[in-house]
Amino acid sequence: MQDLRKALSAHEILSVEVYKTMWLKVRIDSHDLLAVAQTLKDEGFIAISTVSPTDFLEEDRMEMNYFFENYTTKRNCWLKCDIPRDIEACEIDSITPMFPGANWHEREAYSMFGVRFRGHPDLRPIIVSQDFYDKTPFRKDFDWDAHEANTVENIQQIVDAFKEEQEINEEHLDASSSEMILNWGPTHPASGPIRLKVHCDGEDIISIDPDIGFVWRALEHLVTKKDFVGAIVAVERLCFMDNINSMVGYCQAVEEIADVEITEFAKWMRVLLGEVSRISSHAMGMGGFYNAMGLHTVGMWNMDIREYFLDFLESYSGARIATAAIEPGGVRYGLQMNMLDELQKALDKFDATKDDIKTIFVNNPTMKVRAAKKGIITAKEVESFALCGVVARSSGVKIDVRIDEPYAAYAQVKMDYVVQKEGSAKDRLSTLFGELEQSIDIIKQAKRHIEAEIENGNFNPTKDHMVKVPKKLPKGEAISRVEWSRGEVLMHLVTDDKAKSPYRLKMKAPSFNHTMMLNKMLQGETLSDIPLIFGSLYICQGDLDR
Amino acid sequence: METLFNIVVFPGMFYVLAWTVLLFWFFRKFMAALHKRVGPSFNGPAGSYQTLFDLSKLLTKESITPDGVNPYLFSIMPLLAVIVATLPTAFIPWTPDVYVIPTQYGVLALVVLIGIEPFLLFLTGFGSNNKYSFLGGIRILTQMISMETAFFLAALSPALLFGTMSLGEIVEQSSWLSFLILFPGFILYFIALLGLLEQPPFNIPDAEQEIVYGFYTEYSGTNYFLLKLAEFAEFMAVFAGAATLFLGAYKGIFFDGYIFFFLKMLLIAIVMMTIRASTPRITMKQMLNFSWSYLVPLSLLNMAWVLMAKHFILGVGL
Repeated sequence: MQDLRKALSAHEILSVEVYKTMWLKVRIDSHDLLAVAQTLKDEGFIAISTVSPTDFLEEDRMEMNYFFENYTTKRNCWLKCDIPRDIEACEIDSITPMFPGANWHEREAYSMFGVRFRGHPDLRPIIVSQDFYDKTPFRKDFDWDAHEANTVENIQQIVDAFKEEQEINEEHLDASSSEMILNWGPTHPASGPIRLKVHCDGEDIISIDPDIGFVWRALEHLVTKKDFVGAIVAVERLCFMDNINSMVGYCQAVEEIADVEITEFAKWMRVLLGEVSRISSHAMGMGGFYNAMGLHTVGMWNMDIREYFLDFLESYSGARIATAAIEPGGVRYGLQMNMLDELQKALDKFDATKDDIKTIFVNNPTMKVRAAKKGIITAKEVESFALCGVVARSSGVKIDVRIDEPYAAYAQVKMDYVVQKEGSAKDRLSTLFGELEQSIDIIKQAKRHIEAEIENGNFNPTKDHMVKVPKKLPKGEAISRVEWSRGEVLMHLVTDDKAKSPYRLKMKAPSFNHTMMLNKMLQGETLSDIPLIFGSLYICQGDLDR
Repeated sequence: METLFNIVVFPGMFYVLAWTVLLFWFFRKFMAALHKRVGPSFNGPAGSYQTLFDLSKLLTKESITPDGVNPYLFSIMPLLAVIVATLPTAFIPWTPDVYVIPTQYGVLALVVLIGIEPFLLFLTGFGSNNKYSFLGGIRILTQMISMETAFFLAALSPALLFGTMSLGEIVEQSSWLSFLILFPGFILYFIALLGLLEQPPFNIPDAEQEIVYGFYTEYSGTNYFLLKLAEFAEFMAVFAGAATLFLGAYKGIFFDGYIFFFLKMLLIAIVMMTIRASTPRITMKQMLNFSWSYLVPLSLLNMAWVLMAKHFILGVGL
């Protein structure tokens, strides 16, 4: 941290402070951005987590936030700078040539806020559909009602644009060759709501252009219309498969601004629920990996196990999928001891099945023939594209927010990084299964701890779960990171004075970075590898589009 | 009268239809058990009516012909596919008595009729005017050319051993000893069968996750039903071929009868389904590599082994 301060002092720094021990919060002038970014890169801050503009309407400025991470020292840097808000002058240098991982994040900022990035190689709108082009929907003065009044015209605009594209997209191809453009999605059996424009020559892929945004719900805008508690239902819809951990991330940010410390019991409950949620997601992820190769058995078996864990979530929160179980101030409900019996059933079920799954599917010889050499991501690429979670750890990069910047009660949990070496599709499957086992272990630790502390009388399971958080929060801003099932989720929350609802919430979700890799990974492969590599990246369109 | 019975009831149209329905239902139930699911369960005993309802639904649904295709090519191919897939039943000795065409060239007829089928399916993909269908058509052609070589070589080994092409005589001459000699051939036949019937790990031509539904993509309603019927009739032809060539067809333990033929076919179906439930798909390149570097050379070696066994074990002069 001191090294970084020293290195930065060569530049003109407006303000600098240490934030939450792991972060250095630096404010600079927007003209110095490229120079400072270069210094950061030289200091080992190679990964850029996200680029997040905040629109301050009254102060007439657009604040740019850059979150740089150093995967080796685990120290992070939060860079802020102001640019003019006026749409004509709203311009800043692009850091994409230096940090390739910023590519889509800058495109997103361009689509949502109209920030133009000088020197960006491919500044096209992303996520938003054609009717939002050049309209900057996330700016505070955007009139949603006026936009939605013309729904029919808007849809017509999308349809026309699609038809036009389909008419001309093969015109520039060599007519005498076997080149063609395939639409892999959004109604393809294996794609989910994403469209990959596959330019291929017969079965060989020349390039891929992902078209995303089919399930864009504008969640980041939606939360600003709700109060601080109501916002959790928007946050958990990042992806229903692991809804608990995304809520944990949001609630931590709110608690930080409200300056509230939650109880020890609530912290342990967050660990417990979070790991249950992670299992439910990883089980589906393993199924998705094999479904992509035409084998549905493991998906079904995992679904069978997952039901038991959902039984526990149901007994706790009343809902199986969208639980809304984490609230600012703790966890929503108290704990009854018979709920833990449900959990024990689920743990027993997993232990009874895991050997079969490991022998038949994790070590499957045909799968290894297929996946051991495909979709390789090197540790270097992981850093430069800021990949995280299962994908990063499969390439041997040791990052895990639960260990690097422990939150909830993870500091007291015994755990280690689950890593593989090569970063191939097969390794990502092994990591998934390894983390399933790790989560089971963490649940057992948490369960034992909670039971023991209740026995001792340190925890009161029916009263300790919540502390009061004021309805109105002071002006402030906070970031909070959690290890979500797919990787790091970074929540950047900004509040106004006496705010009843968030002013701005940026959710950085891992699938966005992972999907960025698709073109790079699939060039030169064959059509058969699309579902395999896509499935192995463990992408969920929910957090891809938000 | 007997010919009419053969055509309409056994082993003709009704038999093929009954087999299709039963096999379809059995596949669903067996797969469900392997998946730890229940499978269809509401209609009829163990959900058995479900398949009948599916069948009637598909027959009565509208059959959509897409714009820009040749409607004759598009609609006649499913019909041809069914006819060609059903024909082998006439050459197979189902019981000692039911043996519709007792020709000297039974093996050849079987091999040729099974071999034509993929070309018809290729034409369905070719005639669909859809990129995914076309890719499926190309894939099925590639797969068939490489898999059929091994399939034919393996299917010829019994003919070589017994010195006859007549399926009836092959069955009569078969014994436990001949089963052991032909066992490597049977394994090769079985592997090639997986490729021929597009079963995992060789379900490449209609790989759902890659090219939607391959050559099936544009088909719906009656035409789709006919294609599925052809697929299941082909299952029967290939299973029956395996049972006849290698497992002694209707020959049983205490008595001979159709029931043993049926059980042998079912056994092959069960093994096929178990592989299907535990093996992911491989790629086209891997399939080609496997077929030409391993399967075909092994089939040739197998023929050498059969000839040697004939000479040294059975003591028949070459």
